[in-house]
Amino acid sequence: MKFSKNWLKEFVDTDLSTEELCDQLTMAGLEVDGYESFQSKITGKDAIIDLDITPNRGDCFSLLGVAREVAILNNLKLKLPKSQTISSTVDSPTNISVCSMGPKYVGRYITNVDLSLKTPDLIAERLETSDHRLIDPVVDITNYILLELGQPLHAFDHDKLVGDIKVRFAKEAEELTLLDETKISLNKDCLVIADKKGLLAFAGIMGGLDSSVTDSTKSIYLESAYFKPEAIRGKARRFGLQTDASMRFERGVDFNIQELAIERASELLNKSVGGLFGPLQVVAEKKSLPKQNKVSVNISSANKILGANLSKTKVKSYLTGLGLSPQVKKETVNTLIPSWRYDLSIEADLIEELARLEGYNKLPTESLRPLPKKKEVTNSHRVSAFLVSQGYSEVITYSFIDEQDANLGGVKKDHLVVSNPISQNMNVMRSSLWPGLVNTYASNLNNGEENQKLFEIGSIFKKDKAGSVKEILQVGGLISGKDTDLHWKNKPSPLNFYNLKGDLEGLMNHLTKEAIFERVASSFLHPGKSAKIKVGPKVIGEMGVIHPGVMNQKDLKGEVLVFTLDIDKLTQDKNIKYNNFSRYPASSRDLAFIVEDSELNSKIIKLIRSKAGKELVEINTFDVYHGDNVPEGKKSVAFNLKWQSLTKTLIDEDIDQLVERIVNFLSKEIKAELRS
Amino acid sequence: MDITSIRNKAIDAVAASPDLQDLESVYKSFLGKNGELNKLLKTLGSLPSEERREAGQSLNALKKEIEVVYSERQHDLIDLDAERKLKNEKIDVTLPGISREQGTFHPITQTINSISDFFESLGFEVASGPEVETDYYNFEALNVPADHPAKDMHDTFYLGNGDLLRTHTSPVQIRTMEQKDPPLRIICPGRVYRKDSDLTHTPMFHQIEGLVLEEGASLAQLKGLLNDFLTDFFGQEMELRFRPSYFPFTEPSAEVDIRWKKGWLEILGCGMVHPNVLEMAGIDTKKYSGFAFGLGAERMAMLKHDIPDLRAFFENDHRFLKQF
Repeated sequence: MKFSKNWLKEFVDTDLSTEELCDQLTMAGLEVDGYESFQSKITGKDAIIDLDITPNRGDCFSLLGVAREVAILNNLKLKLPKSQTISSTVDSPTNISVCSMGPKYVGRYITNVDLSLKTPDLIAERLETSDHRLIDPVVDITNYILLELGQPLHAFDHDKLVGDIKVRFAKEAEELTLLDETKISLNKDCLVIADKKGLLAFAGIMGGLDSSVTDSTKSIYLESAYFKPEAIRGKARRFGLQTDASMRFERGVDFNIQELAIERASELLNKSVGGLFGPLQVVAEKKSLPKQNKVSVNISSANKILGANLSKTKVKSYLTGLGLSPQVKKETVNTLIPSWRYDLSIEADLIEELARLEGYNKLPTESLRPLPKKKEVTNSHRVSAFLVSQGYSEVITYSFIDEQDANLGGVKKDHLVVSNPISQNMNVMRSSLWPGLVNTYASNLNNGEENQKLFEIGSIFKKDKAGSVKEILQVGGLISGKDTDLHWKNKPSPLNFYNLKGDLEGLMNHLTKEAIFERVASSFLHPGKSAKIKVGPKVIGEMGVIHPGVMNQKDLKGEVLVFTLDIDKLTQDKNIKYNNFSRYPASSRDLAFIVEDSELNSKIIKLIRSKAGKELVEINTFDVYHGDNVPEGKKSVAFNLKWQSLTKTLIDEDIDQLVERIVNFLSKEIKAELRS
Repeated sequence: MDITSIRNKAIDAVAASPDLQDLESVYKSFLGKNGELNKLLKTLGSLPSEERREAGQSLNALKKEIEVVYSERQHDLIDLDAERKLKNEKIDVTLPGISREQGTFHPITQTINSISDFFESLGFEVASGPEVETDYYNFEALNVPADHPAKDMHDTFYLGNGDLLRTHTSPVQIRTMEQKDPPLRIICPGRVYRKDSDLTHTPMFHQIEGLVLEEGASLAQLKGLLNDFLTDFFGQEMELRFRPSYFPFTEPSAEVDIRWKKGWLEILGCGMVHPNVLEMAGIDTKKYSGFAFGLGAERMAMLKHDIPDLRAFFENDHRFLKQF
């Protein structure tokens, strides 16, 4: 809310400089966004202050409210505007009825007004500096009162009314064309102002077009009503109609100010557009009006919560300043909350008021005593620390992605969609970390970064069959380019499947898990160069070369590798148990076989292990060879085997026997030939 | 030859050896299979037993003596040899080493870790929760009823199924209070989402919220804690001010500003947990009080590292990331 300082001074006689005033308001919880000096054509030197009002302080949504706060903070007297009661010279042809959600309506019929007259200069200047557009003298004056007293007013063209005015709820789908010419279809929880013929206004939010004041208006009916916050809340948002009136009503308007507001408006109208005034028509459903809250505060609980030591006298004086008429009984202070303070309903609210008036910075400060606690290292921490040590850089990408990216790989999925996305290319909650990584890779590649190793840790989102959302914490990674930059000693070579696999084996080893890699079918990955990653029978991730089709869709070339692992499936075994190890020398043998090219290494090793006896401690594949001396369609695979006994030194004869068993078994099972 | 002359000859020869190879042949010529000592030993057979024993003992003593001088000379020669070689063994120590390039943690992760470390040292536990939330946990349980104007403070993303993307990590506090009994000290870092995008807002960012719920938790402690935290984070004594503010889930509520260059800079929000929030979570408000605070990781990282543009965090440009 923007307002003129001189205007404020009409209500409170402060001699603070603008800077001091702004600082004081800010430190009292009414944050000043900024201020600038202003030369008024009417009142001279002035300043325009821009106040950011929090939703709880609806009472400060007016000059009167801010002035009241300034008066309290500086122990000054609040000067309420003196309104001269205008005596009626005509009768009102219109009657009013109210309802429980709109329990009070103060109205006045004014006829013979002249709308060709100008809005008074001071009012015009103040409205403009408060960012209000000038419309006509009647609307301008209602806006002026809104700013000054916080009471929204509305003026109808009386000649367009048919019969009496009624505050009621709309019927379902009842239609109204608003002042801004939009036509809305209301619901039955919407409070409206209606006459015999139909709807006149969306109560507390916006007037209707048909009953609005125009250049040719001769008679008006002025409304100064009280609508309950509950009746207005949510409606403006539902129809996208946040207005100055709705903002005030939904925060709560002082339910005792309607008469003052309409009298003050009448006075200003009389001076500017003249006319004959009808009597003030006050209609209220007393039982439905809010009651003044009674709230108590216990001084010792207040001091306990604040960690302070405010005296009884101080507490009483602060509460008195706020207009709460405190009654002190031992440690308890009973108060009666004024009609404008909707935010004070429980003890904590009063404690905040005490803290605010004492000054947050004047209250004591005390260090929090540390408690002993073991720091927990999470899987995410372990994984990221390992990957960083292996040359991966962490990235953070948006959780919402483009639908096209979400469908990469050609499979259309049932995505979790954001209903109101920030932009259409950020409307799908990712169900994989890969699109974000690929896009990051592509943009860095564009900047000339060819060697990249990236990872991200974050949630992916999937819908289960019942439609509820499953969030899975994953780590995803991407590598591409060469394994090293140009180097005088080490020649760079392209990163391939086995580089990534090695990193992941290292990671799993670091987490004391043994991973198994098996072929996988994934539409995102190259069918021949991809694997699922398992620990025991549990699939915990996937890895491989990105499918050429996906690369093509993203306009990328070459080999890019990705992986993903479910973080929560990487739980580390808490307790590591000791395993006995041999103190006897090891015997080792190298065995090379010629086998079908399609035989998987894991299978050959499994076969070897099954015949190698329980003293085999290590088996390594140290050569895979195609070419000279190996027939077409076959390969030569060489293994180094190491045996060691816990109880003795093994002798050559024992090992030779085992080797013979292995060779015979492999020959029988997969027609493997031992190379000599 | 008698023992004495063999001894003198051997000791002289060892001392005169110019290199290891020569020393080795000297050794062999005296102590080898066909060396002088063995030759002499063979002649002892003819002596009477008394003399034979004495001569044997003398020979053994001589053998030991030669071995000692041999070993000393050997070490000397190795040292000499090494010294000679060292003069020629030189490499260019300024050539780059062979190493694997290190990766980097994202600056947001570093910021979150550094903040969590501080709070963990005071006994806070790190807690996390879902990013897709219900209206109940994101708003209602935090004292923001349906249609409340305070909802306008958060521009919320809604999902097709009626859920929403959490606008703060406060739901984690509620979930923790539902699951664990006080006393509690938790810190909740994580991604949050608000429908906002300009120079100073991205639709996703990271928040870190803390909650202390124990007997005697007070505003004075909250002030002290934040003071200590900001001093730790910026590595220097910070000037702070607490301003009354409004959050539906705290009462009293405060914004904290730090003195930054010439003015004040808003840096976090905090307050005493609203009794409605505690009651909804089933906490005995007669016994326990609580305070909470929340801050943005991006903002903290920007201040600490002088980063001018928020969007840099999510562009993940290598040239940006490698600086941290």
